[in-house]
Amino acid sequence: MTLAADSVLLHQVDPIPLHKTESAPLHETLSERKRRFEQLVLPHFDAAYNLARWLTRNDQDARDVVQEAVLRAYRFFDGLRGEPKPWLLAIVRNSCLTWLAANRPAETVGFEDGAVELLPSDEDGPEIKAARNFDRRMLNEAIAGLPAQFREVLILRELEDLSYKDIARIADVPIGTVMSRLARARRLLAVSVRAASNISGTQVAK
Amino acid sequence: MTNEEANRLLHAYIDGELDPAKTLELEAHLAKTPSLRAACGRLRELSEAVRVKADYYAAPAWLEERVRAALPAEPNNGPAKPRRWEWLKPAGSFAAVADWLRPAASFAAVALVTWVVALGYLRPGEDERITRDVLASHVRATLGSRSYDVASSDQHTVKPWLSARLAFSPPVADLSASGFELVGGRLDYIGEQPVAVLVYKRREHVIDAFVWPAEASKAEQTYTRDGFNIERFARNGMAFWLVSDLARNELDDLARLLAEHNAGP
Repeated sequence: MTLAADSVLLHQVDPIPLHKTESAPLHETLSERKRRFEQLVLPHFDAAYNLARWLTRNDQDARDVVQEAVLRAYRFFDGLRGEPKPWLLAIVRNSCLTWLAANRPAETVGFEDGAVELLPSDEDGPEIKAARNFDRRMLNEAIAGLPAQFREVLILRELEDLSYKDIARIADVPIGTVMSRLARARRLLAVSVRAASNISGTQVAK
Repeated sequence: MTNEEANRLLHAYIDGELDPAKTLELEAHLAKTPSLRAACGRLRELSEAVRVKADYYAAPAWLEERVRAALPAEPNNGPAKPRRWEWLKPAGSFAAVADWLRPAASFAAVALVTWVVALGYLRPGEDERITRDVLASHVRATLGSRSYDVASSDQHTVKPWLSARLAFSPPVADLSASGFELVGGRLDYIGEQPVAVLVYKRREHVIDAFVWPAEASKAEQTYTRDGFNIERFARNGMAFWLVSDLARNELDDLARLLAEHNAGP
């Protein structure tokens, strides 16, 4: 089923607000440029790290990727348009992808294409049940176990509280795809936590 | 509104991303469909569970400090930040290379002066001179922010730009399908003539491909200078010199691709 839901979503023809970030002043010295970068971009350092950590699933790799990505962001600082946070996260996300492609190519399978784009047609059934009783550890493992393209939209939505529009910009997909991936991510997550709970024998369902 | 559509829109609804008209329509549907309301409640609960229980990984403070310190500082305004030699460790990171390039560049500069002074006595071979020239050009370009004069991944933009400024038309190949992304081109002066520099990228590595017309086809040759890999070959009346911190085997790949692309008639 292809998704034609874009038309019902907010923000979808919102142009990039060029005016929101003033472009680099003329004759800016290097130290002024660095200060501007520190004020606009570095406040999102934790978000950058959180995304990299969830995508690489490893502390050391996340550190390497983030420092590389932020320095890269600094090099391309003049290209900043609109809000700094999605701009930075898009760079971090691409650095993660490049890093994964080089180091763990198996994990990037299906990341860029729409191979698993189908929206479940049945309604969200009883597998999404009593989420408030989810065991914290199991929930985290289940998120880490999601395919990367679903993991990233879930992290960006729930942990970074970003709009579909910003997520679309970061993941470089249409806004309707953000919605379908998010729906898929939540469904997979619920199924996965329930399966883990059944295996361990923990009682999560009421 | 069908149940199927309503279910599909629930995610956008709980995320506050549904447009106002559809929101009203969905809410009317929710009001008369208990199973949909239940599904909606479960979704909200799941969303909330992730927000509350999923780990948020804050960056270690030292990491941010390290990155902050590595942002290129002012060369002529205030004291330079202390060099962070520990940056040498994470191989592959741009900053590590950049920090490491500075002494390399100084060395290259000193070497160049030494060479000029010694010219009369030693007369290094032309290849040695070109090796130094291309390396110096590569280091200068990657140290500063001016890696290219024309930024484009489109060979049909880069080639005319270069051709318009040179007495020859350099072959410009789009090799992105093979993992070498064309990012732009610039002009430089090597071996007493203006040359074209095609700038490629592979992961975070910048590769400069220097191109100029050459009469004789010399044998392919590789060099290593200050940790940079340099590779030279000639095809179809053009000399190619590649310079990068990229691994030798990958630079070989690029050389092979460029040679194939410029095999000529």
